[in-house]
Amino acid sequence: MSAKPISFLGGVDPADGKIIEKKHDLCGACIKGKVLVFPHGHGSTVGSYVMYSLSKKGLGPAAIINQTADPVVVVGAIIANIPMIDQVDIEKIRTGDTVEVDGCKGVARILKRRES
Amino acid sequence: MHLTREEERVYEGDCGWANQTCIRILVRLGELFGAEKLIPIDSAHVSGVSYKTLGDAPIEFLRALADAGARVKVRTTLNPQSLDSHYLGKKLQKDLQEPQLDILRQFERMGLTQSLTCTPYYLQRPARGLHHAWAESSAVVYANSVLGAWTNREGGPSALAAAIIGKTPDYGIHRTENRRPNVTVKVETKLRNETELGALGIFLGKTLGDKIPAIKGLPNTPKDMLKQLCAAIATTGMTNMFHLDSTSRTRETEKIGVDSHQIKHAIEELSTASASQPDLVFLGCPHCSLNEMKRIAQLAEGKRVRVGTEFWVCTSCHVRQMARDYVKKIEKAGGHVLDGVCTVVSWTEKLGIKTIMTNSAKTAYYAPTLNKAEPLLAPLQDCLKAGFQG
Repeated sequence: MSAKPISFLGGVDPADGKIIEKKHDLCGACIKGKVLVFPHGHGSTVGSYVMYSLSKKGLGPAAIINQTADPVVVVGAIIANIPMIDQVDIEKIRTGDTVEVDGCKGVARILKRRES
Repeated sequence: MHLTREEERVYEGDCGWANQTCIRILVRLGELFGAEKLIPIDSAHVSGVSYKTLGDAPIEFLRALADAGARVKVRTTLNPQSLDSHYLGKKLQKDLQEPQLDILRQFERMGLTQSLTCTPYYLQRPARGLHHAWAESSAVVYANSVLGAWTNREGGPSALAAAIIGKTPDYGIHRTENRRPNVTVKVETKLRNETELGALGIFLGKTLGDKIPAIKGLPNTPKDMLKQLCAAIATTGMTNMFHLDSTSRTRETEKIGVDSHQIKHAIEELSTASASQPDLVFLGCPHCSLNEMKRIAQLAEGKRVRVGTEFWVCTSCHVRQMARDYVKKIEKAGGHVLDGVCTVVSWTEKLGIKTIMTNSAKTAYYAPTLNKAEPLLAPLQDCLKAGFQG
């Protein structure tokens, strides 16, 4: 869960799925198999292909939850077959929570809070 | 979404797998954004051309489309590649060149113009008031804000899908009501050069999200300088367009002021190199206009590129041909004019380049991650001073 927008090109290393943007609050974290929660995408339109490459290598996120949908992320999710929902109040979700995403109904549920 | 009978046939696969795949991308995209129909486009511009940023997996996606007979239905231009045959191609290993050529071949099979530029509007100005499907975020903002053409910021694959179908979903900036400004930005300081315009864009992109600003305080700003604002605002944000017309009516209540401190802070934050002498001085992000080529040539005349420094100017093949005399002057001074290439998506780190000086805020933003280089951000004249002796 990040409060910061993500650019998949330049922001995520396609070789290992780690976030590499130095000033990002998730820098160093790996998105592989995670429900990736962030406000919206930004920047390069090649980001869609980076998402596709990550998924082909098994390094993609399990699902994406956004506050606002960005066409670049949406197209990436479509061609990479990553379930994605938008218009979610993402501040209710915290890193470590267990979240269920229903891409067909457009619903996310917090199943379990992170143990604090 | 409501599809016409013809579109439904394509959707059901009657016109082959490639067309079906493309229309399905467009329909799913349109449905997520609440589009009711597909609308015809006049042109498309496709990103995702550099082998460095694309990688191997998407090449197979492109090949599968081309194998299945995908052909573009409208005039479609292409973004820059990772190397050119004259200069970088000779310095880099063969295994980087072959996949790059493969990518270009797949696009060629699908009928895309081998334009290889992020400034396709210098080749042919997109028709004002018509719908287009452009990827390349800097060109999207320029088309909407400066040229009056209408395009969403497409992802690379959706721009290609739109080109192949000849249509795009009717949402976002394609709708008149979504093109109106919803925030006022007042620039309270005089911006003196293109780098400060870029810094404004970096700040606004972070601040605005997807809002459309009416920017006050930038009267009579030359288009080459606005190009830097366009590139930077799209780098850090989702903004598709801005208004400069002081009479544009805003419904907004929100107002944002920008002063000299915010501009200075944006430049300092991006300018992280400690070495004063850069390994590479790079101009041409986005690709240089004829006018910028002229200015660089004039400043380079009679000078020599410093020993130990590379000096690159990137532009399109199209502008290069118009700028032959300027190219000669830049090359005589020891610089390299690379056409069809983008430094940010080229293999600079394999050439031992660790610091890049540039006038482009967009390049400075991406250099640390994409080029593994520390940037120095400064206006064109300062870049030339650092790059040349004498």
